[in-house]
Amino acid sequence: MTVDDESIDLKAGLTLVHTVEAHSRTKQIGLSYTLPMDWQGQKQAELLMQIILGVFAVAAFVVGYSMGSFQTMLLIYAGGVGLTTLFIVPNWPFFNRHPLNWLDPVEVERHPKPKPQPLTSKKKSSSKHK
Amino acid sequence: MHSFLYRANAVLTFSVMVLAALCAMASFSDYLNVPSPNAYLKVVNINWLQKQPNGNDEVSLKLDISADLQSLFTWNTKQVFVFVAAEYATSQNALNQVSLWDGIIPSREHAKFTIQTNNKYRFIDQGSNLRGKDFNLTLHWHVMPKTGKMFVDKIVITGYRLPETYI
Repeated sequence: MTVDDESIDLKAGLTLVHTVEAHSRTKQIGLSYTLPMDWQGQKQAELLMQIILGVFAVAAFVVGYSMGSFQTMLLIYAGGVGLTTLFIVPNWPFFNRHPLNWLDPVEVERHPKPKPQPLTSKKKSSSKHK
Repeated sequence: MHSFLYRANAVLTFSVMVLAALCAMASFSDYLNVPSPNAYLKVVNINWLQKQPNGNDEVSLKLDISADLQSLFTWNTKQVFVFVAAEYATSQNALNQVSLWDGIIPSREHAKFTIQTNNKYRFIDQGSNLRGKDFNLTLHWHVMPKTGKMFVDKIVITGYRLPETYI
């Protein structure tokens, strides 16, 4: 009985994940503000942010100092921040080229998790009987 | 970095950190500037020297102030505050500083100037020690940067003397 319960839970969870994944696949063409970026995309986004801001900061300081204008430095850097925001903050499609490939729920049913289940079920059932 | 708000937060915090680093570098660049200011102060006329009813001496004088402070300005300078003080010693105070005139220089273009003026602020002693007193005129300046440390310096010009009697 308890084994059945767990498998049902598992199935429910997987179908939930599956629907979210399907949803994200349909939405992947456009921007989406609510859905998460994939792992590789997050890494790339962070690196890209640091590189763009760093390059703009160096350029801003060099140009500002050589022109003797503090305002020029700030304007160039502000431009860099704007560009970075535009590049990093929206969930662009090119940050989502490495989607996680979840197994189909049917596949999971065919190959159920082998051994840890009886142990946990025994523990759980004993605790329930108490 | 997985959601919109996390990325916005990351960009904001990192860009402010880099901005702070830029400002720090800008304020350090001020140390590369070695200024060579010069000033010329002259007492054109002692208008009067009188004793106030309360016993303190007061003097009115006309000053000729010319200075070239252009080298104080760097790309990180917001403005320069200058003031002329009369400095002298009495038995009561080892150092008296009386501000006679001040001004704010907003830019390098205005940093080379010559003006002739009566003392803007009253030159009053604590007591009646001004007759025949030797004093210095000092041009003080405060360089106020856009970011970083304020630089303070002065030029002291010695050898002025007030008249021996009330006039």
